[in-house]
Amino acid sequence: MTNGDAVTDDAAARALDDVRVIDLSTSVAGTWCTRLLADFGADVIAVEPPGGSLLRSLAPFADDGTSVIASYVLANKRSIMLDVGHPQGRRALSAMVRESQIVVESGTPGTLDSWGIGLDQRDARWPKQILVSVTPHGQDGGREHLPGNDLTAYAYSGWASVNGLADREPLKGSGYTGSYLAGVAAYAGAVTALCYADQHEGEGQHVDVAESEAAGIVFAPALLATLYAGAVAGRKPGMDLMTGPVPVRDGHFALTLSRAHFWRDAMTVLGLDELSADRRFDSGWYHREHRDEFMPLVQERMAQRDKMELFDALGTMRVVAGPVLDTAELSENEHLRARAAFVRPSEDPEGLEYPGAPFVMSETPWALDRRAPRAGENAVRVLRDAADYTDDWIGGLAEQGVLG
Amino acid sequence: MGGPLEGIRAIVLTQAWAGSLSTELLALMGAEVVQIEARRRLDSWRGSYDGPVPAGLRTVPTAVHAWNCSPNFNAVNLSKQELTLDLQSEEGIELFRGLIPYADIMVENFSPRVVGNLGIDYEALTAIKSDLIMCSLSAYGADGPWRNIPGIGGTIEPTSGQSGLLGYVDGPPLNSGRMFPDGVAGTYGFAALVTALHYRNRTGCGQYIDLSMQESNYGLIGDAVLEQAATGNVRPRMGNRHLTFAPHGIYPALGQVVGQVVGQVPGHAGGEEHWVALAAESAQQWAALCAVAERPQWASDTRFATNEARKLHEDELDAEIAAWTAEQERDEAVAALQAAGVVAAPVLDGFEVAADPTFRARGYVQDVDHPEAGVHAQFTAPFRLSGTPLEPARAAPLMGEHSEEVLSRFLDIDHDDYERLVESGVTGKGPPPGYEG
Repeated sequence: MTNGDAVTDDAAARALDDVRVIDLSTSVAGTWCTRLLADFGADVIAVEPPGGSLLRSLAPFADDGTSVIASYVLANKRSIMLDVGHPQGRRALSAMVRESQIVVESGTPGTLDSWGIGLDQRDARWPKQILVSVTPHGQDGGREHLPGNDLTAYAYSGWASVNGLADREPLKGSGYTGSYLAGVAAYAGAVTALCYADQHEGEGQHVDVAESEAAGIVFAPALLATLYAGAVAGRKPGMDLMTGPVPVRDGHFALTLSRAHFWRDAMTVLGLDELSADRRFDSGWYHREHRDEFMPLVQERMAQRDKMELFDALGTMRVVAGPVLDTAELSENEHLRARAAFVRPSEDPEGLEYPGAPFVMSETPWALDRRAPRAGENAVRVLRDAADYTDDWIGGLAEQGVLG
Repeated sequence: MGGPLEGIRAIVLTQAWAGSLSTELLALMGAEVVQIEARRRLDSWRGSYDGPVPAGLRTVPTAVHAWNCSPNFNAVNLSKQELTLDLQSEEGIELFRGLIPYADIMVENFSPRVVGNLGIDYEALTAIKSDLIMCSLSAYGADGPWRNIPGIGGTIEPTSGQSGLLGYVDGPPLNSGRMFPDGVAGTYGFAALVTALHYRNRTGCGQYIDLSMQESNYGLIGDAVLEQAATGNVRPRMGNRHLTFAPHGIYPALGQVVGQVVGQVPGHAGGEEHWVALAAESAQQWAALCAVAERPQWASDTRFATNEARKLHEDELDAEIAAWTAEQERDEAVAALQAAGVVAAPVLDGFEVAADPTFRARGYVQDVDHPEAGVHAQFTAPFRLSGTPLEPARAAPLMGEHSEEVLSRFLDIDHDDYERLVESGVTGKGPPPGYEG
């Protein structure tokens, strides 16, 4: 390399490295959207209230007392704490918003207006801004002022009604999976708006994401199945071979027999040659109607096998199958290791290993540069970069207690 | 006004759920999406040629072909066009290659080696269209020791760590009621495509996207992965409970018989289950819940005095709340809780969702008119853009519905040539020549 340009050319390009984002969100869904924006190259500034984001008080906690969930969703971002109740705080926020292309927020409709950076201001002063609102129920329609979370998203979307077991209460998704899915939808909406801006002289718009509608992504087929059947889809009476994991010697294992050759080969692997040869089982509907005739025998055979041994034997025959893996097993998983699906932040090489890219892009890779910042860790630099503040101004803000 | 992606064209080989969803979102955002399907091996989400028409459609006179009346297929292929092509035939592959110059985007979700075997991998297609964006969506990605192992949502859920965390506190690992990993991978697939489109807008360069269903889903339990790395703790299954807040659950309302199995009963009108989802995420919400329930003894009970105490006594707390909800009408309890600022929702079933006034007012639920199945409520795009309102969603295509039109428009295939291609099974509608059901 002979000059600075060459260095720049050699560094991997990032898809969104032309974008600055102000992250005002306080939910897992909103912060996952901005985490993805950061992972694909955007400069994301998390604006936290004095004392730090509420996300930092969510369990579980690492040994040093930091919230694990906050470490996950705030990674790759810079942080400033700002008292927006103070006029100078609102002024600084407004200056940062003016210099940014995307703003992401998760407040009740009206919150941004009270800070002087709402939709009316956007339209009048920052028409190129893409404002992304990620809220439980969306911006209108009658539920917009109600509180909510992933539990209400799963309940309203219909998804809870088909999840879990028929004789038990409906289940939400585990952990924060529903919130992350809403975050992915919000990321997709934000980047769609960027693509539109690319072609239309930078014109911005308001992206409205309801967590309940993002949960609907996974209920859409069951909704139509309900209407076409004239009967609710409902929950299953229990997990069996056709629906989910069943016990094996050292855990649980799923073997969804969705194609004829899966059935033939799986029965051969289990030493059930008679079932393997029975051509009636080539049809999915036949399985479903005659499950009682074969299920006990097959599950008895499976209970004598180990999950990884079974997975290897079936995988060799290209049969769809899957062992239930826990987080300890995943962290040692040879395939994920080979795919570099565990990553330490490049600026924190001794830190925790994070899950890696959700998808691999050949020209503009995902990258995890930074661990999660401490609340307000980057305030000075952020105000210089994103608000064009001088050091004198910044010192003044700190003295007035505006920086948390 | 055709939506934010008007002018973008995708020629895609997607099938089943995740792949089809990724390209459905393109179509709903205004891109022109031509989905290609094989008559000899129809999309598994259409079912099979010998399957039955769904029970509720048997009185609909137009609902005659089971493969056009599959709720799964019709739910995830809105607003697309469809061309059938036999990619096992030289002529079919040549027609496909002929369409690529007109494509901005190609997406496929075969097993990793298939496009190479067909001579239509990224290298081959970029020789035809240099700035093509191509996404391959597979179970385990394009490389690594598991690359050739097939997978579907029902097996990715276990291998991504999700099943191990999904289930009741006292129960075994579960798969979700509808394969959650497909929805995740499909949404990520669309996200990947628009990310690449933005980069192409800036630089003129296309690229290749390798999306592993396992990895995209594994990231959704990332906080449990980090927890294990930070503390060594393998998180248990938690039912509807929250790591921090209590109460947080789904409780039976008046009329709900716990243990009763509901579902798949023809003639079911909906609303036959009665469950209330509720949570208190602050001291104020807990106080409001106690007030709505008229249970001052909860508020004064030391076991429930703080969130920390409630987490420690969650079994007793849940039993108390369930005893209260069991005497309440579902919708009345939800309305009272919401009015008091408590997180609450009814668990809706499919019929109730279809009629939900909020989803309808927002345009998320739309009545879609399908030429065979008739008019039904469907979910549409999960985000809304203020400056580029969307056209109403169009029904999923019938098998091969747009074959002649697409071949004529892009490749100048005239009617006689089209008929010849149909006879030889290269394109057409429904079962291929010689098919015996």
